[in-house]
Amino acid sequence: MTALIEIASPATGGRPRKGAGGRWGWLLLPSLVLLAVLFLVPLGLMVWRSVSEPTPGAANYSWFFTSDVALATLVRTLTVGAVVTLVTLVLSYPYAYLMTVVGARARIWLTLLVLLPFWTSLMVRTFAWVVLLQDSGVVNQILGTVGLGPLQLIRTPTGVVIGMSQVLMPFMVLPLYAVMSGIDRRLLDAAQGMGARPAIAFLRVFVPLSLPGVGAGALTVFITSLGFYVTPALLGSPDQALISQQIFTQVNGLLAWGRGGAMGVVLLAVTLVLLGLVGVVLRLTRGRGGAR
Amino acid sequence: MGCAAAAGALLLTITGCAGTGPAAADVDLGPGPAVAGQVKKGALDGVTLTFTSYGGIYQDGQEAAAVKPFASESGAKVLSDGPTDYTKVKAQVDAKNVTWDVVDADTLWAKRQCGKMFMPLDKDIVDTSKLPKGTEDKCSVPAMSYGVVLMYDKKKFGDNPPKDWADFLDTKKYPGKRAIPGFASDAAPGALEAALISDGVAPDKLYPLDVDRALKKLTSVRSSLVFWDTGARSQQLLESGEVSMAMVWSGRAYSAVKNGAHFAPQWNQFLPVSDSLAVPVGARNPKAAMALINYYLGAAQQTKLTELTSYSPINTDAKPKLDTLATQYLTTTPERQAQALQVDNDWWAKNQEQVIQKWSDWLAR
Repeated sequence: MTALIEIASPATGGRPRKGAGGRWGWLLLPSLVLLAVLFLVPLGLMVWRSVSEPTPGAANYSWFFTSDVALATLVRTLTVGAVVTLVTLVLSYPYAYLMTVVGARARIWLTLLVLLPFWTSLMVRTFAWVVLLQDSGVVNQILGTVGLGPLQLIRTPTGVVIGMSQVLMPFMVLPLYAVMSGIDRRLLDAAQGMGARPAIAFLRVFVPLSLPGVGAGALTVFITSLGFYVTPALLGSPDQALISQQIFTQVNGLLAWGRGGAMGVVLLAVTLVLLGLVGVVLRLTRGRGGAR
Repeated sequence: MGCAAAAGALLLTITGCAGTGPAAADVDLGPGPAVAGQVKKGALDGVTLTFTSYGGIYQDGQEAAAVKPFASESGAKVLSDGPTDYTKVKAQVDAKNVTWDVVDADTLWAKRQCGKMFMPLDKDIVDTSKLPKGTEDKCSVPAMSYGVVLMYDKKKFGDNPPKDWADFLDTKKYPGKRAIPGFASDAAPGALEAALISDGVAPDKLYPLDVDRALKKLTSVRSSLVFWDTGARSQQLLESGEVSMAMVWSGRAYSAVKNGAHFAPQWNQFLPVSDSLAVPVGARNPKAAMALINYYLGAAQQTKLTELTSYSPINTDAKPKLDTLATQYLTTTPERQAQALQVDNDWWAKNQEQVIQKWSDWLAR
């Protein structure tokens, strides 16, 4: 259990002891082979296709960076990802906090509530949202009774964000909970003992200590959201396509595997750059916070 | 047998996958010209074929009407796969490891890929004499027929129904949302033709399509458009009443009305469409695959297919027994054919790639 929490939360401190992996390192071999065959080889093929089909050269990339539509789609994908990350964070933070303050039984229920939908097929959940969000659906009927007129939710970016946020919430709640449950409550008591009001103690002591969980959750949600296909395809509109849908167009509709590959490589590169940036930011903030 | 279907490409190269039945030359389909719907008894003993289509009631119907009877008569073992996926066809043909023998694909795509992904059909094996004129192609034959049809809300426009595609896009005369196909990765006859007709082009002067003009027209009514990109979604739009008119596939229109949607069809200017059957280049046993296609085209098979799926038969001798509602949605009767808009499939096949690029760009804008 400790080990699990350590993996999930950088906040509880220790990195694995050096040399611990030495003797048992060979156990990694099967998964490394699997990763090489099933991940690196296809990735290499994708990169290769992007520079060799239909003719060798960088034509696919110059197409991407001169196409208004391709660039707009990339920006839209990043924007939707950022909004989804923000929405899941706002919803998950109080939820995860609640999980740390309630009793053991209630915590089990709260955990189940997050995990149950997580164990349900993505397609089923997305179709459920289609039913709920359509113009004549339950949500709009409720909105109608309180006089908020029917809103167009489905086939809009709003619908996509709602669906994706629900799907991705566990990825935010769990890291947050892992970090929050490791925070020593007595620090809050101490702050209040020193004269801080509860709200100030929470904001100045608890929130900074929970930031590693926010970082881990936000990163997971954001990066996962970039590759979403089913949810935007069903809840969104074809005229609000995300990059995964555009890749599908190139690969499946036009058999332009080179362009599809180039779009994949660009998405991967953007993701890696963002990951790197977040890494830098995290290191800077941790450095400022000093050693714990 | 069937090891090719089960094993991955990696395993195949290792095991070689021997014993997939007699080589193409060994198949004896009997003397004389082929007759649609017939196959020599036991001619394909020991041969394994894979039939690929789009699944659901459609493929169930195809299997019950043609594929299974073919297997029991010819002795061939026929496996099923699906859904049809163009990238998978390309991957198989490129890798020279073709496991799909007969593929049900979009007619335009089959036309476009003739000689590239699909091989020419041997007309000594495939009897096309009972097909409606102009529907066969060098590499493919139609698998069934349906239509892109205008559906309108009977409650709203019952007294003054829209007469043609010009009315369909006339949002002043007929207020409300319009559902149109919005496949980002595909473009097919329908929305562009409707836009041009609505913009004043005569139905017989549509081709070559002025795609830019059509898109400009669609842009002007874009706020009233709702895009659907699965058949289920189009049906749901009719049943939930979210739109007041829709451009949908006739089969889905029929299902929606059967489920109680308050919509009626305007058949004037409907666009006939179809799927096609084709054999990928490099199929292991093309003769056997074509024998299956020939069997599929028989009148009895087509009759049964229509009764099971509500798609229209493509054998002119087929006489399906249907309930009154389903009969109203047959697209191949002479009176319907007279109402059809003449679609230039050759133009579409030649230009579809550019149209898809423009269309998906327009959609994503």
